[in-house]
Amino acid sequence: MAEDTGVKIDEIVDGRGLFCPGPLMELIKTIQLKPVGTVLSVLSTDEGSAKDIPTWIQKVGQEYLKTEKKDGYWEVIVKKVK
Amino acid sequence: MERISFVLASDSLEKMHAVGLIASVAAVSQMEVNVFVTMNAVTAFRKSTVEKKGFKVDGEIGRHLLEKGGPMFYDLLQQGKMMGTLKVYACAMALELVGEKLDQFVPVFDEVLGVAGFLGKAEGGQVLFV
Repeated sequence: MAEDTGVKIDEIVDGRGLFCPGPLMELIKTIQLKPVGTVLSVLSTDEGSAKDIPTWIQKVGQEYLKTEKKDGYWEVIVKKVK
Repeated sequence: MERISFVLASDSLEKMHAVGLIASVAAVSQMEVNVFVTMNAVTAFRKSTVEKKGFKVDGEIGRHLLEKGGPMFYDLLQQGKMMGTLKVYACAMALELVGEKLDQFVPVFDEVLGVAGFLGKAEGGQVLFV
């Protein structure tokens, strides 16, 4: 069996096709509604957002898990911890 | 809470969009944000200007902003207001000069304010002039 690099995603926020800061704004709208412990995956075709979102996550004290480059988009994974 | 205030004096679409972007992201990043709209920038918030997208475009980026139809500066400010602490003030003097009231502008303004009022709101934080 392959090494388990994945985390269980509870919620996908699909921000693909949105301009900066669209994906971040979509993440914020969703994260506000979810309970603590939720793991969210944000999809973005905008490279700026892929770099912005981890900065925002750290600034507001949520937990940044990782960013992965996919085929034509980025996936940023965050856990709501407060 | 960190505070950042913008004096938005330019009616250049590119400059207004930059303020919309920075102000909205600041507002959702736990900063208190004030935007004081003054001088020609006020005219870009007129309902009639917004309806026909009659903005002053400086160059290539501005043209793309209009063509691609993404969120405009007033949409970004509105988002920042909904999701963070962001206030937009209209300059009393500019409104007086054009002889118009707030109801002739897109509903993004919190109130009409003079310079002393704005300086009071901005006190202790960074102020950026655009």
